[in-house]
Amino acid sequence: MNDDLDRFLPLSPAALHILLSLSGEDLHGYGIMQEVARQSQGKYKLGPGTLYDNLQKLIQREWVEELGLRPADDDPRRRYYRLSTAGSGVLAAEIARLAEVVREARRRLQASKSSVAKPRRA
Amino acid sequence: MLRLLYRCALRLHPPGFRKRFGEEMLSIFDEARGRLAALRLLLDNIVSLSRQWALRSEFWNESASTPAPQAALDGIPSFCSLDPFRPRAAAVVPGLVLTMAVFSLTCVAIKYSWIHVLHVHIPEVQFEAPQWIPPNASPSGFRGAPTEPVAQSQAVAPSLPAAPTLAPEAASRPASNAPTAVGVATKAPNNRAVPPSASANSKPHEIARTSPESKSQATVDQPLAIGALPSAFAEETNLDAAARHRVIDRAITDLTKYYVDPDVAQKMSIAIRKHEKNGDDRASDGGAFADLLTRQMQDVSHDNYVAMIYSTAETSETPLAPTTEEVARYRKEMEQSNCTFEKVEILPHNIGYLKFNAFPDASICGPTAAAAMAKLNGADAIIFDLRDNPGGYANMVALIATYLFDRPTHLNDFYNRSENATEQSWTSPPIPGNKLADKPAYILTSSTTFSAAEGFSYDLKMLKRATLIGETTSGRGHMGAPHRIDDHFTIRVPGMKVINPISKTNWEGTGVEPDVKVKAADALKTAIDLAEGKLQKMQENP
Repeated sequence: MNDDLDRFLPLSPAALHILLSLSGEDLHGYGIMQEVARQSQGKYKLGPGTLYDNLQKLIQREWVEELGLRPADDDPRRRYYRLSTAGSGVLAAEIARLAEVVREARRRLQASKSSVAKPRRA
Repeated sequence: MLRLLYRCALRLHPPGFRKRFGEEMLSIFDEARGRLAALRLLLDNIVSLSRQWALRSEFWNESASTPAPQAALDGIPSFCSLDPFRPRAAAVVPGLVLTMAVFSLTCVAIKYSWIHVLHVHIPEVQFEAPQWIPPNASPSGFRGAPTEPVAQSQAVAPSLPAAPTLAPEAASRPASNAPTAVGVATKAPNNRAVPPSASANSKPHEIARTSPESKSQATVDQPLAIGALPSAFAEETNLDAAARHRVIDRAITDLTKYYVDPDVAQKMSIAIRKHEKNGDDRASDGGAFADLLTRQMQDVSHDNYVAMIYSTAETSETPLAPTTEEVARYRKEMEQSNCTFEKVEILPHNIGYLKFNAFPDASICGPTAAAAMAKLNGADAIIFDLRDNPGGYANMVALIATYLFDRPTHLNDFYNRSENATEQSWTSPPIPGNKLADKPAYILTSSTTFSAAEGFSYDLKMLKRATLIGETTSGRGHMGAPHRIDDHFTIRVPGMKVINPISKTNWEGTGVEPDVKVKAADALKTAIDLAEGKLQKMQENP
């Protein structure tokens, strides 16, 4: 299972942000765009073209499901999306991978600090 | 204006993408506030448009509606793919499976439709000649499998020879094996056929020689039967692989269902199927094909009873049950031939001698048999001459054997494969006044003693009630009925075998070994000598 997931990792930033935005609640396309902007404090803005291009792939891989239901008073053109179990798995794997990257990065950065310090001491 | 452009750009997206997300993208556009935001969305849309067409071919598919290819002009063929869709690699496998399934289905459909075409009975007016005679009109009207004419004639003629009277397939229906019996009767060097064969003789010719007038009349009532006449001709000269295959299929079905020994049935089925695959039976002529199949089956089974029979005239749809007319004819012939009881004599030294050339149906010939035995009742020893006896009915075997016992005696069992049933054959309770129960008995046999006559010999030998003198008998311990395959082919499958309660087996293939082996011609003299010697001994030491 992990091998299967590893095949898809790392995720593109767009895919990662979309999955992350759907991890809280089911959202429609516009909702996803807003949520992505919110999560990244406005630093990552997703255009509809990129959003739907990625959603298309995510739906095909069955990481995201399109819901048939929507609130009665909503714009009928909107569609709602939900993170599937497989999608959650992929997201968790990607987060774990990123955590590993961050840990490694910290270790490296600390090591380089000390290696820089050494010659001074010598 | 921008919205219109946005919509146009959306419309230009691949259909799959457009249908799925188009509406929602437009709703997002509608959410945008300000010209700048709208412009940015439009730009995004155009980037998306080029990305979808250039990089996302795997998503184009959903009901792609690319421009229809131009129709070829001037009869010049042109090849255009309807849509630029390139299938996913994973889709190739299901596609392949589906293609193969469709291909197989088509093949099956062709196969069956081909057979259908081959055997369709078209009402024909081709043979308008006033005296139409069936092609290949041999005197018998039948051909097939005469590997050993003498042997077969006798094996077949008595029809289901030793079968118990009440066996549904067998004795109760003497005419049902008409097709086999007829061909044989003419070939027999010395026609000892039991009457049923003769009684059925005329039947096929009546069908084949339908006059034109009656033909045209019949076309209205029975188009099928009439249509089959020309088709008989067609099949005679043109028997193709599909037709042969169908005959083989049916033959295997019948062998599997009826043949007494399932293992041997399977061996035969495998053999004929293998020969078919090897192309060994490419006979275009029905008779030759039947002969080939018969040989192939007998090579494996060593059972001379199993045979494929071909007849140029049509065989009837259902096995012929004996009509009252046929039964009457049989009865009449039996009366005329004294039920085949040829000699009933008292020889010197008071030795009874009975020569009978069949075991006719006891329900008809019982009184004749009883009269013969009554005439010999005072004899001190009895000789049964079965050297020219091709067999017949089990009820007659039991009736004659009854005179040799002072109590009901278990003679043998008939095992019926398809019904998986065993029927016992016993002698009747002793006949009042009978004096033969303890008299020495001798049976004369020859290599042409068949079937029920072999049964009589074998049973009495096993019970140590008679001394067999002469030659080893022919070895027919199986019985069976012909099974119709189609209008022209019939397969004769031994579906019943005798199991002797003492030996637990029978004489199929091996024949019945005599106690005293002499030439058939010398058997009577030897028997008389033995009987006289025995009687003398008995007189000396009572």
